[in-house]
Amino acid sequence: MGIQGYLLVSSILFGIGAFGFMARRNAILMLISIELMFNAVNLSLVAFNAFLPPDANAGAVFALMIMAVAAAEVTVGLALVIAIIRTRQTPEVDQYSDLKE
Amino acid sequence: MVGGGLAVVTLRNIIHSAVAMMICFGSLAGMYALLGAPIVAAAQVLIYLGAISVLILFAIMLTQAGDANLPAPFHRQLPIAIVVALAITGLVGWAVVQTDWGLAAEAAGAAVDEIATAIFTDYALPFEIISLLLLVAIIGAIYLARRPEEDERAN
Amino acid sequence: MELLIALIPALPLAGFVFAVIVGPRIDHVPLHGHGHDDHDADGHGADAHGGGHGDDHGEVDDSAFRSIPTEEEQRDTSPHAGHADDLANAEGAAGVIPADLNDGIGQAGHVTPGAERPTYRSWIVPTVLVGVMWAISMVVFVDVVFGGNEHEVTIYEWIASGDFRIEISFLVDSLTAMLLLVVSTVGFLVHVYSIGYMDGDRGFWRFFAYLNLFMFSMLLLILGDNFLMLYVGWEAVGLCSYALIGFWYKKPSAAGAAKKAFVVNRVGDFGFGLGIMLIWVNLGTLSFREVFDQIGTLDEGTITVIALLLFAGAVGKSAQFPLHVWLPDAMEGPTPVSALIHAATMVNAGVYMVARANPIFAEAPTAMWVVAIIGTFTAIFAAAIALTQNDIKKVLAYSTVSQLAYMFMALGIGAWVAAIFHLVSHGFFKGLLFMGSGSVIHGAGGEQDMRFMGNLRERMTWTYRTMVVGSLALAGIPIFAGFFSKDEILAEAFSRGYLVFYAVGIVVAFMTAFYTFRMIFMTFWGEWRGPKAVWDHVHESAMTMVAPLMILAVPTTLLGLFLGIPPEEGVIHTWLEEVFHGAEEAHAGVLPGSILDGYHASGEEHHFELFGLGGLLLLVGAAVAISGVWLAHRWYVRQTDAPGRFVERIPLGLGPGMYRASVNKYYVDDIYQLVWARGGVLVSNALWWFDAKIIDGTVNGAGWLASRIGGGLRKIQTGRVENYGLGIAAGLAIVVLVYATVVR
Repeated sequence: MGIQGYLLVSSILFGIGAFGFMARRNAILMLISIELMFNAVNLSLVAFNAFLPPDANAGAVFALMIMAVAAAEVTVGLALVIAIIRTRQTPEVDQYSDLKE
Repeated sequence: MVGGGLAVVTLRNIIHSAVAMMICFGSLAGMYALLGAPIVAAAQVLIYLGAISVLILFAIMLTQAGDANLPAPFHRQLPIAIVVALAITGLVGWAVVQTDWGLAAEAAGAAVDEIATAIFTDYALPFEIISLLLLVAIIGAIYLARRPEEDERAN
Repeated sequence: MELLIALIPALPLAGFVFAVIVGPRIDHVPLHGHGHDDHDADGHGADAHGGGHGDDHGEVDDSAFRSIPTEEEQRDTSPHAGHADDLANAEGAAGVIPADLNDGIGQAGHVTPGAERPTYRSWIVPTVLVGVMWAISMVVFVDVVFGGNEHEVTIYEWIASGDFRIEISFLVDSLTAMLLLVVSTVGFLVHVYSIGYMDGDRGFWRFFAYLNLFMFSMLLLILGDNFLMLYVGWEAVGLCSYALIGFWYKKPSAAGAAKKAFVVNRVGDFGFGLGIMLIWVNLGTLSFREVFDQIGTLDEGTITVIALLLFAGAVGKSAQFPLHVWLPDAMEGPTPVSALIHAATMVNAGVYMVARANPIFAEAPTAMWVVAIIGTFTAIFAAAIALTQNDIKKVLAYSTVSQLAYMFMALGIGAWVAAIFHLVSHGFFKGLLFMGSGSVIHGAGGEQDMRFMGNLRERMTWTYRTMVVGSLALAGIPIFAGFFSKDEILAEAFSRGYLVFYAVGIVVAFMTAFYTFRMIFMTFWGEWRGPKAVWDHVHESAMTMVAPLMILAVPTTLLGLFLGIPPEEGVIHTWLEEVFHGAEEAHAGVLPGSILDGYHASGEEHHFELFGLGGLLLLVGAAVAISGVWLAHRWYVRQTDAPGRFVERIPLGLGPGMYRASVNKYYVDDIYQLVWARGGVLVSNALWWFDAKIIDGTVNGAGWLASRIGGGLRKIQTGRVENYGLGIAAGLAIVVLVYATVVR
C-alpha cells in the first residue's frame, strides 16, 4: 500500500496509544499504552527504511535499538509501578496525589 | 492491528487489554515482514510477544490489579483526551497525506545479514551502550521489586 | 569713605554674632517661683528660653509646651472676658499668660516688687555698635546729600558662573542716603528704647541679637546695587521679622502671627522673585545701573509684567491690600519691634524698591496705574478699619498700612520725591508713636485696650507730650512733618489730574486725623476706666524709653520745615533729582489735560504759589486735618455718647453692621481662612485620597493580582500523572499544529 498507508496506520496507532495513556486510570494500562506508542514509531521507522532506504539500513537497526530500549524501560517502569501499587494498595493513578499543590 | 489497539485502550478488564496488546504486537510483526524486514519481525515477536507481554502479565498478577473490575476505567478528562488524541492523529495524518512522497513501490527490504553487518560495524557503539542499558535496567528492576528481606530485619 | 560704607552693614552683623555667642553668658536673670503674680492684667508673656545662668532647670522643662493655653482659654482668662463684644479686639487684647507659665517677673519692664533685679549686660555691645553705625551713616549721608557724591563699593564677587555674575557691592546715592537716615536713626533709638522696654524679660540677649540681625539685613537691602542683593536683604528682613514677631514664642497667638507674617510675605516674595528672574532672562544682568540703562529695549508688555511682579513683592512687604493681613497681627511682637519693623524700616522696603525701580515703572503706565489704584484703595480701606479699633497698637498698625498706601499712591502717579519725603517723615513720627504706645502700655500695666485707659496725661507727662507731637504730624496739622509730606502728595495728585485719588486722599486725611486723635483722647484724656489697682501703679517710663521719644519729636516737628519748604520745590527735590531724573523727564504719570500737563505743553516751569492753587490746596489739607481733630474731640471728650448715636442714625439701619464690619477688619481674614486654609485642607484631602486610594491602590492591586493569579495557577499542579500526560500530549498537538501551519 505505499508509504502513506503505513504512516497513516502508524499515526493512528500512536493516537490510540496516546489516548490510552491519557484516559485510563490503571497504572499498568498506562504503561501498556506507552508500549503501543513505541510500536507505532517502530512501524513508521521500518516503513521509511523500506521505501526510502537510508545508508546501512539505519531505519531497521534503529527500530531494533528502540525495541531494546523499550524493553529496558518497561522493565524498570513496571518495577516502579509494582512498588507504588504495593504501597498504596490501589492501581488507580488518580489516587496518587501526594504531589498535589 | 488497529482493532487490537482500540481493544487495548477500551476494555475494562486489564487482562483482556493485555491480551489485545499481544494480538496487536503480533499483527505488527506481520507488517514488518511485509515491509521486507524479517529480522525486525522476529525481534518483535521475541521481545514484545515473548518478553514484554509476559512481563506485563506477571506484573498484573503480582499486584492483583486486574482482579477487581474497576467501576470507572476512564478519567474525568476523557473528552479532552479524545480531542487531543484525535488532534494528534489528525494533524500527523494530514501532514502525511499532504506530503508528496514521490517514490516508487516498495524497494529492497533489509536482509538479515545486512542488518547484522550494520549492527556490528557501523552501529557497534550503540549496541554496546544498549547492552549496558539493559544491564542497568535489570539491576534497577530487581532492586525495586524486592520485598523487604526477613533476614535483614532479623539482623 | 568706601571703608566706612562697607562698615555700615558689618557693624550690626558683628553685633549679632556677639550677642548670639556671648550674650547668654553675660546676663543674669533670676528665676522666680511660679504663681507669683500680683498684676490684674498681665501683658506680654515672659519668655522662658533658657537664657542666663539663673536657669536652674536641669533638663528641658517642656511641661509648659504641653499646657500652652488655647486661644479660647486665653480669651476666657483675660480681664476683657465679658467686656469684649467684638471678635477683633478680643483677640487683639494682650493675651494673658497663666500663672504657671509666668516666671513671676511680670510683663516686660516690670520686675515684681521685692524680687531680685536681673543684671543685663548683653545690650552694651550691640547698642554701641549700632550707635557707631549711626554715626557713620550720618557722615555718609552728609557726604552724599550735601556733597553731591555717589559711591559704589564692591566688596566681593559672590557668584561667577558663566554669564551670571553677582557682586556684593553697595550703591550709595541720595535715595539710599535718605533711607539710611531713617533706618539708622530709628534703629539706634529702638535699641536704646529696648534696654528699658525689655527689662525683666528672660530673652533679653536674644532680642538684641535679632535686632542687630535685622539692622544688618535692612542695610543690605538698601545698600545693595543689584536686584539680587536687594532680594537677599528682602528675604532676610522677612526672616528677622518672623523671629521678632514671634519673640514670645510660647504664646500661641504670637507664634501664629509670626507664621502669618512670613507666609503672606512669601506670597509677595514669590512674585518678586519671578520679576527678578524675568529681568535676568530678558536683560542678562541684575545690576541696577545696567538694568535701568537697558530697560527701554524691551517691549512694553514685558516691562509691565516685570513691574507688576516687582510690585507684588512690595504689596507683600509693605502690607497693601490684599496682603495687608499680616501687619495688624504683627502687633503681637514687642513694641520696639513694631516701631522698628512696622513703622520705620521693613515696610518701607517696598516703597524703596518701587522708587529704586522707577525707570522700569516709568516705562509701564499700566503698572503705575495698578500701583496707584491699590495704594488709594488700601489707604481708605485701612483707615476705615482704624476708626473702630480699640487696641492702641492696632490703630497704629492700620494707620501704617494707610500711610504706606499714600506713598504707593504717590509712586503710582509719578510723584516720586513726594513719596520718599513722606517715607522719611512717616518713619520718624510713626516710630515715635509706636514707642510712645509702648510706654503707655508699660505705664498702664500691660493694658493695650484703650477702653480701659484714660487720663494718662496726669501721670505720664513726657509720653503724652511726645505722642501729641507725633499725632499732630500723623494727622497732618501744619508745620509738623506730616503736613508737608502728605500735602505734597495730595497736591501732586491734583495737579497731575488724578482728581478721584485726590478726593479719596482728602477723605483719608480726615479719617486719619480723626482716629489719631480719637486714640489720644481715649488714652490720655477723660477719666481712668481701668481697674483701680492698676491706676495706683501707673507711672512714667524709664529714661531709656522716654529719651528716644523726645529725640524723635525733634525731626517730627522740624523735618517738614527743612525739607519741604517751599512745597513741591523743597530741598529734598534737589537731593533726589538725580535718582528720578529719567522718570521725571518722561513725565511719567502725568495725565493729559491736567494742570501739570498744561505746564509741560507750554514749556513753563511749574512753581508753587502761596496765593494760588498751591496755597489753596494747602489750606484745604489743613482744614480737613483740623476738622478731623475737632470731631474726635467732640466725640471722645465732650459728648462721649455721640458716636453711638451717630451709628444708629445711619440710614437704612446699616450703622451697626458697618461698625461690626469695620471692627472685624471687613472679614478679610475670615475669607482667607475659608478660601486658603479650608480650601488648602480640602485640596490636600483630595490629593491624599488620590494617593492612598489610587496610587497605593494600583501598587497594592498589582500585588493582589499577582497573588490571585498565583492562586489560580496553583491548581494546575494536581500531582496526577494523567493530567501531566494530557498536558504533554496537548503540547505536542499544538506544536504540530503550529508547525503545520507555519510550514504551510
